[in-house]
Order: sequence, then structure tokens, then C-alpha cells
Amino acid sequence: MRKLNKIVIALLIVTLFHGCSKDALVENSPSVVLPENLYVNKAGFDAGINGLYDQVRRSRSGNTLGSVGAMMTGPAYVGTDNAYANWRDGLEDIYNNWGIINNAAVDHFRLEWAWLYETINAANTITTRAENPNISWSATDKNLVLAEARAIRAWSYRHLTYMWGPVPLTLTESSGSTIKTDWVRAPVSEVQAAMEADWLFAEQHLPVTSTLNGKILKGVAQHYLAELYLAQGKDAQARDMALKVTTNNNYRLVTARYGVKATQPGTPFTDMFLDGNSNRAQGNTEALWVLQAELNVIGGEPNNVMRRYWVNRYYSFTQGGRNPFLVSAEYGGRGIGRYGPTKWALGIYPAGDDRGSDFAWRFNYAINNPAGIPAGLKLGDIIQLDRTSNEKTVNANWPHTRKWDYASPVDPNVDRAYNDQVYLRSADTYLLLAEAQMKTGAPGDAATTINVLRNRAKAPTVSAAQINLDFILDERSRELFSEEERRYTLLRTGKLLERVRLYNVLARTTIADRDLLFPIPQSVIDANLTLKMPNNPGY
Amino acid sequence: MKQFYRNWIGILSLLLLVSSQTVVFAQTKTISGKVTDEKDQTSLPGVTVTVKGTTKRAGTDGDGNYRLADVSITDILVFSYIGYSSKEVSASSANGTILNVVLSTDATNLNEVVVVGYGTQKRSDITGAVASVDKKRLESLPNTNFAQALQASIPGLSIDQNAGGAEGNNYTIRIRGRNSITAETAPLIILDGVPYNGSISDINPPDIESIDVLKDISAAGIYGSRGANGVILVTSKKGARGKPVISYDGFYGLQNIANLPPTLTAEEFYNFKQTREPGSITLTEQAVYDSKNFPDWLGLTTRQGSKSQHTLGVSGGGESSRYYLSTTYLDIKGIAENDNFKRLSSRLNLESNVKEWLSLGTNTQLSYNNRDGLPASFDGLTGAYRFNPLTTPFNADGSLTIYPWDADRFFENPLAPTIATNDDKNYKIITNNFLDLKLPFIKGLGYRLNTGIEYTIRNQDTYFGVNTRTGLLTKGELTSVDNNNRNLLVENILNYNRTLKKHTIGVTGLYSWQEDVLRQDRVVGTGFPNDVLTYYQMNVASGILPSAGQYTGKTLISQMGRINYSYDSKYSLTLTGRRDGFSAFGNTKKYAFFPIAALAWNISNEKFLADNKFISALKLRLSYGSIGNQAVDPYSSLARLSTRSYVDGVNSAPGYVPTSLANPDLGWETTTGFNAGVDFGFLKGRIQGAFDVYSKKTRDLLLLRQISSVHGVSSVLQNIGETSNNGMELGLISTNFESAKFTWSTNATISYYRNKILDLYGDGRDDVASRYFIGQPIDVNYGLRFGGVWQTGDDFSKSPQAGAKPGYAKVIDANGSGKIETDLDRTINGSRQPDFIWGLGNNFKYRNFSFYVFMQGVQGTSRNNPLLSDAVQSRVRNNTTKKNWWTPTNPSNEFYMNSLNANLLGVGILQSDSYARLKDASISYDLPAKLLGQIKVSRLKIYANARNLFTITKWTGTDPELNTQEDIPLQREFIFGLNIGL
Repeated sequence: MRKLNKIVIALLIVTLFHGCSKDALVENSPSVVLPENLYVNKAGFDAGINGLYDQVRRSRSGNTLGSVGAMMTGPAYVGTDNAYANWRDGLEDIYNNWGIINNAAVDHFRLEWAWLYETINAANTITTRAENPNISWSATDKNLVLAEARAIRAWSYRHLTYMWGPVPLTLTESSGSTIKTDWVRAPVSEVQAAMEADWLFAEQHLPVTSTLNGKILKGVAQHYLAELYLAQGKDAQARDMALKVTTNNNYRLVTARYGVKATQPGTPFTDMFLDGNSNRAQGNTEALWVLQAELNVIGGEPNNVMRRYWVNRYYSFTQGGRNPFLVSAEYGGRGIGRYGPTKWALGIYPAGDDRGSDFAWRFNYAINNPAGIPAGLKLGDIIQLDRTSNEKTVNANWPHTRKWDYASPVDPNVDRAYNDQVYLRSADTYLLLAEAQMKTGAPGDAATTINVLRNRAKAPTVSAAQINLDFILDERSRELFSEEERRYTLLRTGKLLERVRLYNVLARTTIADRDLLFPIPQSVIDANLTLKMPNNPGY
Repeated sequence: MKQFYRNWIGILSLLLLVSSQTVVFAQTKTISGKVTDEKDQTSLPGVTVTVKGTTKRAGTDGDGNYRLADVSITDILVFSYIGYSSKEVSASSANGTILNVVLSTDATNLNEVVVVGYGTQKRSDITGAVASVDKKRLESLPNTNFAQALQASIPGLSIDQNAGGAEGNNYTIRIRGRNSITAETAPLIILDGVPYNGSISDINPPDIESIDVLKDISAAGIYGSRGANGVILVTSKKGARGKPVISYDGFYGLQNIANLPPTLTAEEFYNFKQTREPGSITLTEQAVYDSKNFPDWLGLTTRQGSKSQHTLGVSGGGESSRYYLSTTYLDIKGIAENDNFKRLSSRLNLESNVKEWLSLGTNTQLSYNNRDGLPASFDGLTGAYRFNPLTTPFNADGSLTIYPWDADRFFENPLAPTIATNDDKNYKIITNNFLDLKLPFIKGLGYRLNTGIEYTIRNQDTYFGVNTRTGLLTKGELTSVDNNNRNLLVENILNYNRTLKKHTIGVTGLYSWQEDVLRQDRVVGTGFPNDVLTYYQMNVASGILPSAGQYTGKTLISQMGRINYSYDSKYSLTLTGRRDGFSAFGNTKKYAFFPIAALAWNISNEKFLADNKFISALKLRLSYGSIGNQAVDPYSSLARLSTRSYVDGVNSAPGYVPTSLANPDLGWETTTGFNAGVDFGFLKGRIQGAFDVYSKKTRDLLLLRQISSVHGVSSVLQNIGETSNNGMELGLISTNFESAKFTWSTNATISYYRNKILDLYGDGRDDVASRYFIGQPIDVNYGLRFGGVWQTGDDFSKSPQAGAKPGYAKVIDANGSGKIETDLDRTINGSRQPDFIWGLGNNFKYRNFSFYVFMQGVQGTSRNNPLLSDAVQSRVRNNTTKKNWWTPTNPSNEFYMNSLNANLLGVGILQSDSYARLKDASISYDLPAKLLGQIKVSRLKIYANARNLFTITKWTGTDPELNTQEDIPLQREFIFGLNIGL
């Protein structure tokens, strides 16, 4: 019995208190990344910055993470004077029809808003935690991290203010113990002041060039500052800031053929959009910011939908009861033609302008479907698309821009695009400069600036007399169709309603004053429990 | 830690105090005897004989004989046998060393032994609300998981089948509705004393001896935090002393689709499409239309299923050990094409009294599940329900088309998954090992070490070759998922049980440690040289897509003390205190203490009722206490970052973005409430039942609160808000008619609960974003309301709905403002909370034939019917269900016109999804004893069963019970079975 006693006591001691050490309940998961263990050194902050770049890249992805559905920043491009929705379903309906379907319950607005503030909070987390005195890093390293984070934060607020006008301004990391239910929509001027401070800081600390592709460069901060100053009516400041980009030889325009198809027919202008040519390291000196992607590499999946949305459904084109065109890499891969150019946008190119050429636009196809040859034609015959009727929805017989042509080497039907894409290039800055020059009373300088672009495109030059705001907006469309966030440009210049009513056949009768701003998402209003957040007028 | 010692010292000193009354060891002797049936005096094998208050026990052999050594004359022997009333006999009444006992069949179930937390109790001593599943729901029915047996068989327990499919293991199980808004509401499942985490389809139903459900806080609270949503105790079969008994149970049956909603035929679809968007018919659709060769997608993706199960079992025992050994093979071919489930499981339950003071045992199950093959696709845009019927499923050579609709290559063939190579194997061990020690010096004091290990490995490999769209676009896609799941439990239990004259006292002390770890590795590779090597070629993938390595671990540490006291089997008292610690809570909030008290009064044991002819049993129960809910995911209190990597050239650039907010104050959700119940038996047990009322309040809810996305995150888990939940439930068993040849008995359950949100954020405001409304049930239907269809002749000038035309959906202007406002016109339109749920089983027995009918239903719920909308996409790319569309000549008020603009606000149509279902109808025949003797078989039963024969409902979707109306439908089954005992 005594022996048994010992066994029992030993068992009790061993088992009763098993695991009852102080940290038995402390969580320690090897697979969970926490701010406390990430933002502790340069490498950790770099990972945070990489996350921000992926967020930026999502602007051209589906609006839910990992999807190729409605494009995140689609509203910035479509439903303007130069682009309409060549489809009618869900979000696309809004761009053509506005009215009752443009309301606060539309899920896209919730998603885009949440994505922008997720990006802002990610940047805020970096700027807040970078001040931790326990991190050992050089002032240069720290300032570079802060510059990238702040530049992207300001970039997010730029989207927010153009989409929704006054929006809540938050510049510090969110915390679970202080949930706010009384967010206030800060005046646009207040948000712009924060953007200006961020971009000025970035302008000071970002490098002019980088050995890494895809990094945000000093020129980007200067470009956005110029745009911001124009929006604020500070035209001289805008001009000076834009000049910093256009006079920087590192950002010189591409004026000669280069890259992967340099020996094949083409133009310098369109070379920039070819897969393999978009990065600065590949010869694209004009690029200020290039979004990165890579097939079959971790981190390379962009869920990019630019090709998917801009390239039309030529495979649905019918003639004589036949489908003469098959999906092919040559034709830009499989697009689903959600967005298309308005008839006006197709018709503004002077003869000889590279930007309006067959290399920039798809106006015709050669018959490549042996089973779909219309009567009287043969394989390889060219069929011209219709460019004379007005734009209409669900129209496969309509040209599309070739800037986003891409086909996966695996199969041209693949949904996603994996090419690196120019997001911002100095040609855009040239046009900001021209606008600033015009507004500061120097139309001659503006004409000179624009002629740099026109010379590159082999378009006839213009004189000071031709320069006015509408001309500059036309020129922006010629140069930057589907690249610039057209809606923002038109809002900045106060021309959105006027030009949509002039040039967009579908939306001209449906767009209303209130559509200048989108509705604040209902869920954001609902969650502001203790202070009523007013929606934009008319919603 | 200090607190912990203090608790233990308290419990230990209490034990010492009580035991100091013990005097000397009494004289002992060996007692033997025979146990017989009162009615026919046949011997009863497998009766358990226990020395009350000890772990000493024996079983009767094949001839009903037992033998128990070391019995003191002051001991009480307890004879228990399933289906019979337990009997307690004092050892002193033995005739020398012989003690023969006669048992009678169970007239009042109050005497049966019920499994409660950390032990068993006589039903008469139980103070909490505990219910046992009617044995008829466990036997001779083609159940392939225990949820099927439980549905509607216990009042207060609701089970909804969320999805069909061969395995059919997707259920929502709730006891007494829900208290929590976002925290887990599923009850805890305890298998042989060990918390069970796996799929319900991994417990082999033929091995189940009994299922008990602990419903109120006092009963379930024994399991502490994990019992917050109630507890389901599953006990597997055990061996009994005696000659080996060999049994075979098997069934085979056929499965057919119970119901499918009518979708448009190809010709109807053609007209629908032409009407909706003229000119949208593509060339390939027109070609199919002209050929009149239409595919029946739902026909192609479904089939007649079958189901068979075979169980071979052996049980028995010798002087000191008892065993139960079984093997079951289950093979289901579901009604969806290529939807298969096979399970092979073996169980060994063994218990051995090694020494007079030491016994140990194991309850172990090994199982292997084979889910090879992917079922055809039913759900979503490319699923069979909504697949365009103007398409081509097969090529001329009989192979599947890669693009059934060549003009629209978005669509994959719904049958494509059936030709993917898929290997899906699951290996599982569930083992519970225990050791009982009788401690010296203090009579009645025992120690039990209870351990549990549940270890699961699931390997899933899928390869889509270039003969499918998925594989073609990736040049072969290989997905490999390895799951590794480990749950460990160590429980140390001190038990003290004594009966002193009329006082019975039981004290239980527990210290338990539990750890659950889940690990998942997932790799997706694409771009393969060819399809020949299917999923054995990850090494040659041209690209490995982001692979997730997931690890989650959680730890729960608990200390529990319980005192059971009863006086003269009349008055019982249970006091429980439990302290739980959980790893996922914030650092200062990990531990919490929960006390419970419960009382019971056995009125029928009072003298004044002793001779009552009408009342044969009557017991009142009352309990009050609190319990915690910790059912949140690990790392919930931490700010986690999500992986958002970038790339530079071909080099990965790992990236992270914050996607959750930290909440260091995250702690326990606490439910406090009372339960009052009465257990009754009338007319010698002809009518028996239990009636319970309860009221609970839950505070500090673990609430996934929707917050403004301006925070960068749209929701955060917090302890906020308060809910109440009140309900009533009644279970009745009655023998309506009884004669020598014919018996009719009924088992009925009915229950209701009403939950209500009392508070959310402390300021009396609703949370519209999350659909939480103070004073309303937790899951309400909220939104714009459908008010019929605008008709020709309506006065559109006064219409609040701008742009409305005849045939358009009418949206109700709920606030009467004169215009439709998408925010202000939203209203609460009913909820998912039923008025009541019910089950009704009737059993008719004539001679050796039995006929059993079981019906169940849910009443008073409604929800949006997703099939009542034309979700066909622009250009009518999907099929839809048949509806009574408005046309100028058919002024339907049921459904708006077939037009793109008819429902621009997307208002949904609510429908009642209440239902009554004939769940089971079965007929069985027991071979009479005379014949059995001739063929030397002790038991032979044949039966036939029909499941889901019909359903009465207003719901026009696939099935009111299913979550998704466009997935694999429910099946109707016809089964033939055979039970043999040797």
C-alpha cells in the first residue's frame, strides 16, 4: 500500500499540474505575422512596403481580393467623355445609365472604399511604427520607408477625394481598443493639405531612379504634386513641379523604337505597352511607375483585368452567321470587352498620329477561324470593324485599344494578365505642364510642351492659338486613353458633366449633377453610430 | 497559479472533512448469483453489477450469472441493464454468498442510468435538464451519422441539414437556439468522455450505444466553457461478461432526388432569352436550338445513388475484462455524379479490472474515409442548375466538351470535375484511455486519469488535365492539400462517493488540460509536361502558386469542483464551480470562474404519493448558474497581418498588410440563467416525459462587430452587447395501446425558443450594418420589401418609385415618404427563428412486426428565396427557374416581367420555409424465438425503411432545409436491412 501511495502521489504531481506553467496559455503561432514581430527592422518595414505596392496593384484587379470581377478603379476610367461600358450588368450599367442604380447600397463602392482605407491603414501602421526608437536603422533607410508609405497614402486619398469628395482623414494606425463611431468627413482642402505634406516628404526622400522595377520614384511625387496644385489653382507651383519631371533627363520621353519588337513594324509610342518593354530597365525611360507581375512566381499574381476589360469580344463578332475570329495571342488574348472607347474618342486623331494608328488600336482582324469563314471570304481576309455608328452596349463589332494586349504563354484564354504595366509616365506630366503653362498665361509654352508629344507621335504640331483647356483635354485622351484616370482629370478641370453630355452618347441623357461624386457606401454610414455621416447631395 | 492552488486546497480539505467520518474497513466476502427477467424468468446476460460508490463491477455471463469478490455486507449492489429498471440490493440481504436478482423492464425511465459529465448518475438523482435519444432512432435506421438520429428526437435540439451529398455531414446543430451572435453556437460533442472535434461522419453509428444531451447550464456547465451551447454525449458500445456475442448489421438501399426546382427547358430558355434581350442568341446556341438536341444538365449531373453498410461485431467478457470489437464498411454513391463516400472503421473497447484497486481501459476507433472523386458542379454560374441548356455536353467521340458553349468560353463543363483526378483520403484515430484507482485509507475515494487523443490526417490531391477548361488554361493544375489535426486531452479526476444511511454524497474534482492543433499545407502547381502523371508530378510544375502553410493551436486549462448530495433519493443538490482558461483571449482576460447550483425534488418518492395510482413518477428540477463561451478562433485577440506579396522581375517580394485589429481585452462571453423542469410518469409509466422552461441572458458577447471601414478593417471581435433567450420544451413518450399482440407507442417532442438582442454597444442603438436590432431576434430578414408587381392602370404619377412601369417589381415605401429610399425603406421582415420545432415518432407493433413512422418539422421561419429572381446575367448567360412572369396578358402579381429593368433595385422575394417532413417510415420483422432456436440464432431482424418520403412546405426552392438552393439536392432513400445475433 505504501508503494501505491507513492505512485499515486507521483501521478498527481506529474499530471495534475501538467502544462500549468505561466505561459501555457500564451499564444505563439509560427504561422501568424503580427505587427509586433514584423515592424522591428528594415526588412520588416520593407515587407510592409511590398504589401502597399500589392495594394496599389489591386487598383487594376477585381474588386474582391483575388478575383477578376468588376475592376477596382473602373469608375475612374469609364462613364466619361472617352470611355463607356460596352456591356450591361451590375456596375457597368451605372456607367451608362446612372440614375437610381447608382446608389449607396452598390457593393462596389463598399469594396473600393474599404480597399483604399485598408491601404491607408497599412501605410499609417508603417508611419506610426517607424517612430519606434528601438529600431536600429539609418536615417536614410527610415526616410525612404516613410517616403514610400506616405506617397502611397496620399495616392489613396487622391482616389478617395475624387470619388467621394470630403472623406474622413486618418493618419495614425487604427487600434482595436479605440473604435470610432463618429468619423467626420474632412473638407477636401484639409485632405489635400495632408496629401501635399506626404508628397512633399516623398519628393524629398524618394530616389530619382531605382535598380528595382516597380518602385515609386521621385518623379511620381512631383507629378502628383503638380496635379494637386492644378486642382488647387496654384498654377505656377504646378508648372514648377511638373518641370522637375519634364526637365529630368532620367524621365525623358521614348522617341525611338526599342525593345522586344524593335525590328518589327511599330511605333515608339506603342513599344512602351508591349510585354517586355514596360520597365525602365527594359528601355522605357518615360516610365515613372510600373506595376509588376510575373506568371508562376509567388507575389507575381496581380489578378490584373486591364486586358480582360478593355480588349473586346472579337470572338463573338458575327458576319453572315459565322464567327470569323478565334481567340489568339496576336489579337490580344481573350478580352471580355466590358469597357470601350466612345465614338468621339476614336475620331480625334489627326492623320498620321501614331497614337491613333493600327498599332495603338484594333480596327480590323484577319479571319483566323477555319470553321467560321463568312460566305465569299477566305482565311486570312481582313474584316474591318464598324467605326461609324454610335457606341452601344454589348457590341463585339467595335474597336479597342491595344495598350493592354496580352496573352498568357499557356493559353490565350487565361483570364488574368501577367505583363508589367506602366501606371504613370512622364507624358502625363508634360500634359499637366501644358495645362499649367496655359493657365499661367503662356499658351506658347503650352504648345511647345504638347508638340514634344506630338512630334514623338508624328502628329502635326499645334500653335499657341489652338491651346485651350478643351484642346488639352482632347490631347490627354489622344495620348493617355485608358491610362489616365479620366474621371479625375475631368473633375479637376470642372469639365465632367459638360464633356460627358457632349461626347458620351449613352450617358449624355442619364448623368446628373449629383453623379459628380459617388455615394458614400451605406455600410460606412450605418457604422457611424454616434454621428450621422451625411451622404453626398442627391443620394 | 496562486488562485489555482487555493482552489485545490479547498477541494482537498473538503474531501478530508467528509471522509473523516469513515471508521473501519468492514468484513468482505465473495457474492455470486443469477439475474433473471421478471416476466419470463429467462436469464439476462450482460447485466452490469456495480458496488455502489466504487468502481468495482462485474457483468453477468451468457447464463445470467455473476460473481463479485471483496464485497462488504454494508455495500449496496447496483444491477443495471439497458431497457430494464436498475435495481439496488444490499449485500446484507444475500442468502449466504448467493444473491439472485430479478429485473423488470423499464416502466419509468427515471431509474435508468444516464451519462453525465465525468460519470453516470441515476436519472432520479439528476438535477439538470438531460435527455436521452429514443433508442428507436439509433436502431434499424439507415443512419450514416448520428445527427440523422438526433434530428427532432430531443426537445430543444434543432438540427438542420445544410447541404446534400453522399457524405451528408453538413449540419447546423443547436441546443436551445442561440445565445451568441457571432461566437460559435454548435454544441460540444463528447465521445466516451472526450471532447470530439472531428466531422460527425467519422463516428460510426452502429457503434453507438446511447446519446444523451445536456441542455441546461447546470448539466452542460460540467463541461465548462465548451458546454456553453449544450453538450451531446455519445457513448459507444461496451462488452459485457459472458460468452462472446457475434452480431451482423447491414443494409442496402437506393437513393433518388427528393426534389428539384423546375428550370426552363431549352425551348423555354430560347424564348426567354429572345424576349429579354433580342438578338442575344449566339451562333452556337442557335445551332443547338436548330438541332433540337438538348442536354438535360441536371439529368446528366445526377444519378440513382446507392448506400450500403455492413457491421460485424463481437462482444463479451471474462472474469476481469470485457471487450467490444467491431468493423463497419460503409459505401455511398451519392445522387450527384461522381459523389462517393466510403468509410471503413474498426472499434475496440476494452476494460479490465487488473487489481481490486485498479482498473483500466480503452475506447478506440480507427477509421479510414475515402472521398475520391469530385462531384459534378451544381452551384454558381457554371453549375448544372443554371447552366445554359443551348449547349453541348459531349463531343462526337463521347468525351466531355471543354467549352460546352463555344461562343462563351467563360463556362466550364459542369461535368468537368468528374474527369479530374482526385484522391481524398482521411485517416483518423480516436482513442480514449483511462485508469481508475481506488485510493487507500479513505473509503469511496477514487482517482481517474482520463486521456484522449484524436489524430486526423487528410490528404487531398486533385489534378485537372488539359481535357478540362481549368486544366487547359493552366496547362494542368495540381492542388495538393495536407491536413494534420491533433487534439489532446488529459484529465485528472478525484472522485469521492459515499452513502451513509440516507445521505449520498459525491464529490468530484477535476484538473484538465486540452490542446488542439491544426496544421494545413496547401500547394498549387500549374504548367505540366503532360497529364499522364496526374498528381504525382509536383516536381515538374512550371509554377507553384502561393501555398498556404497554416497552423493554429489553442489550449484550454480547466479546474472544476462538484458536489452532489442527495437525501433519501428525495432531495438532490448539485453545486459546481469551474474555472477555465483559454489561450485565444487577451493576456489579462484568459481565466474566468463560473458557479452553478441545482436542486431536484423527487416528489414521487414522498410518502403521500407512494400509493398514487395515477402518478408513478414526479420530479421537480431547478437550476441556476453561469457558463462561459470561448468559441472563437485562435489569435482572435491579436492584430494579424495578411500576406500580400509583390514581385520584382522574377523575384518574390514578400509583403504584408494589417487586416485585423488587436483587442487585448477580449475575454469570456458569459451566459447566466435558470432552468425549471419537471419529469413525470403517469399510469405506471404509460405516459412519461419531461417539461422544461428556461431563461438565459448572455452578456459580454463575443461579437464580430461591423465597424466603419475607415479603420482599414471592417470588423472587430469585441465583448459587447447582451442577448436573452427564453424557451420551453416538452418531450413525451406514451404507450397508447398495449395488448399481448399489439402495441402502439408514441414519442413526441416540441420546443420553442425566443432570442432577443437586449443591447449592443451600450448606447441603445441598432447596428444596421450588421443587421442587429435591439429587441429583435438575432437573425432577422432585413431589406427592401417586395410588394407585388406594378399593373397596367396603376397611377404612376403617385408612385413613390421613380421610373416604375407596368410589369416592374413594386418596392414597398415602408416609411411612407412618398419615394423609395434604398436606406430608409428597409424593414425587418420576419426572421430565421422558428415559432417552434417538433418531432413525432409512432411505433406500431403487431406480434413480431413493427411499423415505425417519424415526422419532424420547423414552423414559422422565412427567408429570401434566391430562386425567385432572374439571375441570368447580362446577355442571358444562365438558365433560371420557371416563374409566373408578368406579361401584358398575364397580369401576375407574383413575379415581375422578364425584362432587364423590371427590378433595378434588386428587391428579393421572401418565402416561408416552414416545413413538415415524413423523415422515416420503416417496417421490421423479428424472427420469433421458436424459429430462432431452430436455426441457432439468438436474434434476426429484417427491415425496410424509406427516408424523406415527402415534405409539406410552401417553399418553392429545392428544399427548405438546405442552405444553398442550387447545390446537390436532398435524396429520398429506400433501404433494406438485416440484423443477426449469434
